[in-house]
Amino acid sequence: MDTNNSSARLTQKEYEKQRLDYYKVIIGLLLLTALTFVQPHLFAEGSTFLAQMFIALAKAWLIVIYYMHLKGDKLIGYMVLFSLFLVAVFFIIIIGIDAPSFQYGAESYITAPASAH
Amino acid sequence: MAHEYIPEISVDRNGKEHEVQGWQGDFYGGKLGFWLFMLTEVMMFGGMFLALSYYNVLHAEDFIIASSHLNRLLGGINTVILLISALTMGLGLLKMRAGDIKGSKLMIYATILLALIFLMIKGVEWREEYEHGIFLLHDKLLVTSSLPFGQKLFYGLYFTMTGLHGVHIMIGIGLMLWLIKRINAGKVTPDHYILYWNITLYWDIVHLIWVFVFPYYYMMGAGHGH
Repeated sequence: MDTNNSSARLTQKEYEKQRLDYYKVIIGLLLLTALTFVQPHLFAEGSTFLAQMFIALAKAWLIVIYYMHLKGDKLIGYMVLFSLFLVAVFFIIIIGIDAPSFQYGAESYITAPASAH
Repeated sequence: MAHEYIPEISVDRNGKEHEVQGWQGDFYGGKLGFWLFMLTEVMMFGGMFLALSYYNVLHAEDFIIASSHLNRLLGGINTVILLISALTMGLGLLKMRAGDIKGSKLMIYATILLALIFLMIKGVEWREEYEHGIFLLHDKLLVTSSLPFGQKLFYGLYFTMTGLHGVHIMIGIGLMLWLIKRINAGKVTPDHYILYWNITLYWDIVHLIWVFVFPYYYMMGAGHGH
């Protein structure tokens, strides 16, 4: 939708094209939003959380690439990808390894209310 | 008054004049700086999502039950409202870049209106929850209540994250009003619109955060009774 030369004034033709792209993206986002609502009753009923996050990622991709103009912007694009990679690593380590092996249930305030201790 | 760049001149010890490199025309630098700011936003909300996920692993069943009690209709309406507001803000920027300043301002006003509707719906939703005894430091969320602890954690995080998101919406409204002021003053023009660009980016990140907040809180418990 956009290029690195985004500081230039738009011609009428460029404006029309980019406006059309915006409309295409919003249709995609609306369809994915509709999918969010029907998913628990339509498919992957046992894995609602994973299915919902997958749909959210698809929506996020559309927003970041088109609405936030990252398409074709390599420097910021790689910067964002690297940051997301770091976040994913932390998530995988903490949620995948640490949380399921939580060892302090007996004395922790995050597994039982303070009054129980 | 049109935006005019007046270069700064520095004089060296020999009395020779040099033009100081200005930042006003550095569109890419302005954009890059704002992306760095947005990554700090991602870190802030990312930390909250991490806490949410951690508690979710420890209290999976309670989280699903608590989620099934949230009002998915109102949450869904707000999702669509934010989605459309991202479109109006983006179209406004396009109009500005194409030279249609009046149309651009109309789009900003439309975005502000949608943001206000979002906040009103969020207010209705919170009030409904308050009346059911679910609110921070109130009734069912008190330490002494019999509500399962995992559900208390879920609701505590729900109010904290949607509240912080709401604050970002309010900041966005303030930024948009400021943007209109800058457009009226001729400081944001079809040839100089980095402020507009970055405020649009800000609105997109606010939208993006909601894209994950909505399914995590509202949809996790869908298909579980309520």
